[in-house]
Amino acid sequence: MTDTKITSKEAIMIVVTIFVSHTIVTLPQNLLSNTKSATLINLLYVGIIAIFIAYLIFRLLKNFASLDIIDISHYLGGSVLKNIVGIIFIAYFILTSSNLLREFCEGLRVAFFPMTNILFVLVPFIIVLFITNSLSFGSNVKTISLIFPIVLISVVFLFFGNFDNFSFGRMFPILGKGFSDTFITGISNIFAFSGISCLYFIPPYLKEPHKMKRICLSSVLIGLLYFLFCTATILLLFSFFVDVDEVLPLYSAASYIEFGVFFQRVETFFMLIWILEIGCYLIVTNRFSISIFQKMTNLKIQKPLAMIFPLLILGFSLLPKNYSVIRFLETNIYAYFIIGIVFVLGIAILLLANLKKRKEGKLGNETLAKNM
Amino acid sequence: MKHLLKICSFVIIFVILTVSFSSSYIRTNLDNIAVVVAIGIDKGENNKLKVSFQFTNPSSVSESGSSETAPTILKSVDASSISSAVNLMNSHMGKELTLAHCKLIVFSEEVAKEGISDEIYTLMNDSQSRPSCNVVISKCTAEYYIDNSKPFLEPLISKYYELFVTSNQFTGYTANASLGKFFDNMICQSCDPYAILGGINLQLPNSSPDVSSNKESSDISNSSSLSGSTASENVGLAVFREGTFVGELNAIETLAFMCIDNDIKGFLISVPSPHVENADVDVYITPARKTKIDVSFVNGSPYIKLDCKFSGQIYSMTNNSNYLDNDVLSRISDSCNRYLEYVFTEYLYKTSKEYKSDINAIGKTSLKLFPTISQYEDYGWREHYKDSFFDVSVDVNVKSSTLLSNS
Repeated sequence: MTDTKITSKEAIMIVVTIFVSHTIVTLPQNLLSNTKSATLINLLYVGIIAIFIAYLIFRLLKNFASLDIIDISHYLGGSVLKNIVGIIFIAYFILTSSNLLREFCEGLRVAFFPMTNILFVLVPFIIVLFITNSLSFGSNVKTISLIFPIVLISVVFLFFGNFDNFSFGRMFPILGKGFSDTFITGISNIFAFSGISCLYFIPPYLKEPHKMKRICLSSVLIGLLYFLFCTATILLLFSFFVDVDEVLPLYSAASYIEFGVFFQRVETFFMLIWILEIGCYLIVTNRFSISIFQKMTNLKIQKPLAMIFPLLILGFSLLPKNYSVIRFLETNIYAYFIIGIVFVLGIAILLLANLKKRKEGKLGNETLAKNM
Repeated sequence: MKHLLKICSFVIIFVILTVSFSSSYIRTNLDNIAVVVAIGIDKGENNKLKVSFQFTNPSSVSESGSSETAPTILKSVDASSISSAVNLMNSHMGKELTLAHCKLIVFSEEVAKEGISDEIYTLMNDSQSRPSCNVVISKCTAEYYIDNSKPFLEPLISKYYELFVTSNQFTGYTANASLGKFFDNMICQSCDPYAILGGINLQLPNSSPDVSSNKESSDISNSSSLSGSTASENVGLAVFREGTFVGELNAIETLAFMCIDNDIKGFLISVPSPHVENADVDVYITPARKTKIDVSFVNGSPYIKLDCKFSGQIYSMTNNSNYLDNDVLSRISDSCNRYLEYVFTEYLYKTSKEYKSDINAIGKTSLKLFPTISQYEDYGWREHYKDSFFDVSVDVNVKSSTLLSNS
């Protein structure tokens, strides 16, 4: 997979794809339930922190040229740490993507396929993964590059299409649930920037590794703008989005767009775009999972894994008994899981590896000085 | 062999998916659905609710052509909830009811007075119902209202339901009250919901307007001065407090609501003529800018200042009128100011003191005065709104008449 090299623009699209796909389901609603009317301010605050984290990741990765976090773990703690970190990141990608897929398919079923078993709504996405896994990573990235701009435009359209219904008074009370809920415990909303996890795996694929700084900062900045558009649409549109849980809040927001008598029911068009976006998200997480597993097991070819990971995603997505379990996992488990893995474990490994490198560098210099 | 295996697996997957998705397709197939264009909810005789469904036959619409009015069917059933009524009607019709094209939801006054929040929640929970469909509170039974809603100038009943509220933009005598807006205002802590007030003009001797004024602007559904064949009327607003109907507004009060809500493009008012005694001048008013609302607190009570600015154009013309005279225009402007200030103030005190309902969502303006949600909840806007004081300032600049300047 690492034989395929991607441009910096494609890398940015891959990272933002992870941000975007979570907003299609209940991410904006989770953010709003945490910080209520102060969500926009909180997002700006958390976004600035995320930009700093992205910059920190760039600085820490800089010393390891084209290595990803699995290679760095190997350097830091040998095969044992490599396998532990690998398993944790595979679990992270598989569990979050399976939960997201199930959540999206539940919404799809409610809106369009009320009589169809959830298994059959999930299966087409898994078939897409079978097919894309048999293709090269380059062709997968090209597909993402095609779909990604449409998704971004759709959200801007969603925002301006609903502009007449907006009530800017909904941004108040300015501090929402309070200062500490917005700026102290509100930091937990950083889980929205889970797409940062891709930054750990992108370096080996880059055509121009020197553009890593641009990739890190641009992707988080675009993601932040995207979040602001999505959350503002939901916060400013109707108060019930804040007080009542919706299965697919952006889908509900799209149903309010009407341009006269003839241009109505645009939500179906949005749903089509979002189906493609979820497909792109699954391709990325699935590809990274395969890549990690390949590195852990030193496999030369990927083909035997092409079916295993999609089937794992299908299996885990079928595990939740009902929608309330999915929402519980999303809000109470995965949010902290993301923070722990992406923002604590990832950065800790990079920091320790950098310390080890510096120590080795010093030792090398001392030995060199002694020899001289 | 490998190629054959691929083809076989493709065929198998295709067949499995086709079979699994066919049940959802069959359910939404045009042959298997009954298209509901309006729902009426009355108090039931044998059960909690009497739900009426108005259907349209899609095939008869295409067969009848555009010049003829498409036939509709009205069926009613007694049930404990809307969902049960839909279920009963499904079995009665032998088809599955779809609310995806429902344009109108009518509640009878009797049901609305007992509260309709459960029904609104149920309708919003339905994946088929559109948030844009209009909510009407009927002064007669909902079934009677729907049965007598005849589109005289429209061949399609669904189009009529969709378009009848558009007159609010140039009359201000009714408002666009959609299901989505109603639900939003019902949940919102700083506003209250409203619906269109509907009725049937029975043209009975005792159905003449029961209002103190003889102006058309005092019309209200069910008792307007319209004559002609029996038809539904949608004049005025039904005011709710949370989910319960608490009172009604006549045409001019609705106009005041629309002006404060910044949801009107223009309207006509009749003000006393400054130069002819016992005569009125008709002025067409257009908003010059959005109404400014400022909320502050005096001794814990909301003090609400409204600043409205309009432009006017004189529509009525009489002998010896001189609308080139600046003094005449400024006197008509003053007359308009006084009239609108009076109407707006009366309307605001009526909704706040009598109905205790903030349908203009003035509470949203007060949100910025509270730093946190808990402080806002502790204050309790809904409880304090009835203690509000209003200071209304209207500035109408009557610019000219239309084609004739003097006579």
